[in-house]
Amino acid sequence: MKDHQGDSTKEAWILCLILGVIFINFPFVHIFDNDRLIFGIPPLVLYFFIGWPASIGVTWLFVKQINKESAANDEERME
Amino acid sequence: MIPGHIVLIISLLYFALLFIVAFYADRRRRQGRSLLTNSYIYSLAIAIYCTSWTFYGSVGRAATSGLEFLPIYIGPTLMAFTWWFILRKMVRVSKEQNIVSIADFISSRYDRSALLGAIVTLFAVFGITPYIALQLKAVANTIDILSNPMALAPDQLGGLAAKIPSYIDTAFLVALVLGLFGILFGARHLDSSERHEGLVVAVALESLIKVISFIAVGIFVTYGLFDGFQDIFQRFFEQFPERQNMFRLGTEQTPYTKWFSLIFLSMMAIMFLPRQFHIMVTENADELQIKKAMWRFPAYTFLINLFVIPIALGGLIFTAGDISQADFFVLTLPLSAGHKWLALLVFLGGLSASAGMVMVSSVTISTMIHNHLVMPILLRIKLKGQDFSGLLINLKRLGILGVVFLGYFYFKIIGDSYALVNMGLISFMAATQFAPAVIGGLYWKRANRKAATVGLCLGFALWFYTLLIPSFVLSGWLDKGILEHGPSGIELLKPLELFGLHGFDMYTHCLFWSLLFNIAAYLTFSFFAKQSATEEIQADKFVNALRSDRPSPTKLKRLSKAPTIMEFVELMSKFIGEKPANAAISEFLENREISSRGTLSDHEIPKLKTFTERTLAGYVGAAPARIILENYLSTRGSKMEDVFDIFGSITISHASSREQLSVLYDTSQLVASGNELKDILDNILQLLSAQFKFDLCVIRFLEKETMTLTVKSQQGMSSVHFGQSERNLNMETYIGQAFLSNVTAVVNDTEFLDKPTSAEIIYREGITCFAHTPITMEGEPVGVLSAFSRTVKGIFTKEFIALFENIAGQIAIAWRNDKQLHSLLEVHEQEREMQIARNIQISLLPTNIPAMEKVSVSGLCVPAHQIGGDYFDFIPREESCFDLIVADVSGHNIGSALIMAETRTFIHARADNIKQPAKMMHSLNRFFFDNMDCSDLFVTMFYLQYCPNVHCLTYSSAGHNTPILWRKHKKRIELLDADGLIFGIRPEVDFEQKAETLEEGDTLLLYTDGIIEAEDTQGEFFGIDRLGKLLQECDALSPQETIDRIMNQVRIFTGLRHFNDDITLVVMKALK
Repeated sequence: MKDHQGDSTKEAWILCLILGVIFINFPFVHIFDNDRLIFGIPPLVLYFFIGWPASIGVTWLFVKQINKESAANDEERME
Repeated sequence: MIPGHIVLIISLLYFALLFIVAFYADRRRRQGRSLLTNSYIYSLAIAIYCTSWTFYGSVGRAATSGLEFLPIYIGPTLMAFTWWFILRKMVRVSKEQNIVSIADFISSRYDRSALLGAIVTLFAVFGITPYIALQLKAVANTIDILSNPMALAPDQLGGLAAKIPSYIDTAFLVALVLGLFGILFGARHLDSSERHEGLVVAVALESLIKVISFIAVGIFVTYGLFDGFQDIFQRFFEQFPERQNMFRLGTEQTPYTKWFSLIFLSMMAIMFLPRQFHIMVTENADELQIKKAMWRFPAYTFLINLFVIPIALGGLIFTAGDISQADFFVLTLPLSAGHKWLALLVFLGGLSASAGMVMVSSVTISTMIHNHLVMPILLRIKLKGQDFSGLLINLKRLGILGVVFLGYFYFKIIGDSYALVNMGLISFMAATQFAPAVIGGLYWKRANRKAATVGLCLGFALWFYTLLIPSFVLSGWLDKGILEHGPSGIELLKPLELFGLHGFDMYTHCLFWSLLFNIAAYLTFSFFAKQSATEEIQADKFVNALRSDRPSPTKLKRLSKAPTIMEFVELMSKFIGEKPANAAISEFLENREISSRGTLSDHEIPKLKTFTERTLAGYVGAAPARIILENYLSTRGSKMEDVFDIFGSITISHASSREQLSVLYDTSQLVASGNELKDILDNILQLLSAQFKFDLCVIRFLEKETMTLTVKSQQGMSSVHFGQSERNLNMETYIGQAFLSNVTAVVNDTEFLDKPTSAEIIYREGITCFAHTPITMEGEPVGVLSAFSRTVKGIFTKEFIALFENIAGQIAIAWRNDKQLHSLLEVHEQEREMQIARNIQISLLPTNIPAMEKVSVSGLCVPAHQIGGDYFDFIPREESCFDLIVADVSGHNIGSALIMAETRTFIHARADNIKQPAKMMHSLNRFFFDNMDCSDLFVTMFYLQYCPNVHCLTYSSAGHNTPILWRKHKKRIELLDADGLIFGIRPEVDFEQKAETLEEGDTLLLYTDGIIEAEDTQGEFFGIDRLGKLLQECDALSPQETIDRIMNQVRIFTGLRHFNDDITLVVMKALK
């Protein structure tokens, strides 16, 4: 059970890492590469300064998941 | 403007504050309440990544190239996401191996290669020292800006450093202060694996100042000078509509390839820059902190970057688009708005950014230089005998100052050049070259030393050629021709368009080529070069570092002529000083979970060797540590060998005083001397009584037959009742109690005795205190060591008893060595006896059967082992008659041989009286039945008598294999069968006696079951049919030739040279 859980965390982690690489590179960022302004701010600037904290949030969630799993493992060991 | 001296005073005050904080942190640590348990400090310290190059430079970059400043921070955010797997593994490995730097890490992974360590160090020095120059420059410039804003005129900026009055060379002062700070917190002690808490806490504080000051300026610019983000962008676009593509990608300035390269470079830099490695790996106090740092560090970089664009744009708006001073917008904006204190805060932020980097880098690089360049040289010089721990620490301090001042001179000599300004990315690229060796080493077992060495060298060669040379050219130190036409006009080798690869910025170009060569060499050599055994072990330790079920890869080995604990301690103190060595060894011994006796078993000695090596590695690096240990052991003649468990329970005390340890040491030397047991025991007792003034010491061993303890050695006063007498085993005496309960019996004052039997003797002899300790081998008592004193009371302290028990343990080893020696001799003796038995047995067989006129006989007996149970014999009788006997005693041991001898004796003794086969068989059976009923052995026999004159053959059989008779004229095989039971089963057996007449050319074959039961590889027997056919084929051969032929065929059949059972063949052929 716990192995299965650990594996799926690892899979999710790899997926997120790949997505992270895609999201900050060509061609994905090219979507935001234009002359229009959103709220008076260039879209690329807006994209990075919103996407960045979002990615930090994902890391935070991921860390929480590891904590949960290791706590579960500890409990199992205690039993 | 702020007067120069105030800036200097404030800077010094700031350093004083850092110093106090650092000092406090060190004190907390000594009290055991380490600040590093706080995970915020770890996360903040990692932000040492943000140097002044980013603190000031980000704004400069944003103002000149727009978004290009971002990848430097986005990359680490992405990398931080992998930390739980990669960084944690690095930390785990480094903790296990006492790794102190990235050079150490790479060298350790690849067979502790001293060469690799030196290569990494050299590259780090080349690639990173100039980066220190950049920091010094930033500090010097900002001080000048604060104290003399007028100097900021664009045309003067370049020559700023030179304009500083010679009597206050700001950069020199800064270098000096930072160098001293580095020494104070990086090299007060020698152990670089010991965490530098003060330094780390100071760095964390600096990081805090950096982010606070930057955000403060950001808020001031965004909301003080302007009206929020939107306002800034709006005014900027109004003023500079042509600069709109600053916020675009894929432009000429920032193509996507460059964007990608910068992200990749910074991802590698955050992991592999020596200072990052130091803070993140070496100074890590707890793996769990990594989890928190994974999101806190990116959050930090996000915060510090949030206002970069507003400040850059604000600066551009205020300076009418002048980018020449863009690097210092952070400082000049508040300054020109008259907010001196804010400017001062920013200055402190920038100072922090520089100072942190310079201090940690200098400590890290000087450690690397010390461990990988200086130590190997020192070891080669071999300063014999002296304690050079003091020299080492001073060398390290000198190294820190040296590195900082190397940076300073770099700055003085090349000043404000292209190369210096871009040193940040150039050093990132250098750090990236470490990536294949580190990551490959962590995840790929086959990666080996050669691969890493060649990969690194190629990577750095390409780095030098495609990045450093072009930047030197752009700084104007080299001729431009090399960039435009290639070296000596070879276009293909143009540093910026190597092998014709063009259209890329120089970072992408360099990244591509350097990594391509680096990785290609790394993979190729890993596939084709072989690892040594030690490297394989290291590889396993690295690759499987995170596996909890990791089997211990260390096979059980022991050290021959192992040094004692004291010798290990002495060796360590020579390099690291006495106190740390003692501290280290007691830590080791504490971790051992040693027995209640407070002792350490000999199995632990190889571990102690590893521990010593690891400890030394913490001070001098892995490769030198290995060299030190190897040299040391080889001069002693010790080497690791597979366990032959003689010293299974040798025990050595740790809580003993020097003299006690020396007794222990001498004892172990005596035990290892290989002298006679008696001599060893006598010497040990002499040593004991001389050293501790005992009046009597006795060693008794258990005599198994009488179950008494018998004196084997005795030293001191002699007394019939005391030292020389045997002791019975019972609980009424102290010695009996010690032996039976297997616990040391101590009486420190004989006025309080509870065993009347002992008391009588003890009072008579005037003993004041004594102890008996059991001598045990594998937990079983085999004897008792006793010591008595007439003069002193209370000599047996807890500590002393431990020593006493240790000596008993060593005596046990001497005893066992002696026993093993004797059993070895015994085995040897037995073998000799078997050889004698074999010779005797062979001599019992008829050596040559006489040649006769009318018959020819040959025989052969091949025992399967040294001695066998087969037997054949030839007994001549009158009128040229003779008896032929073939017998088979089951088994091939001494018992079989004895029965065979017995049988022979019986037959020879009775042959004169008993003339007929059946009668002989009858009396043999009687004899066996009467005498051998208790043995499991049985005997079969075929007995024949032949009279060649009348051609008459009479025979009897006792359950023996039927002999084969080849009738030449009738061309027929006959089997000679006669009724009869195996010997010794029943008292009375009727043995049938048959008779045959032989004609000329008839051949008779007698044999034992060894021949027909010979098996081939499929398990099929040779069998009687095959034997009969073979005999038929031998029609024309003589008996001896027939035997040879049969033996050959059987050998071919089984495919073996040797047989599992004894084989006997006797062939008789009737002539004329």
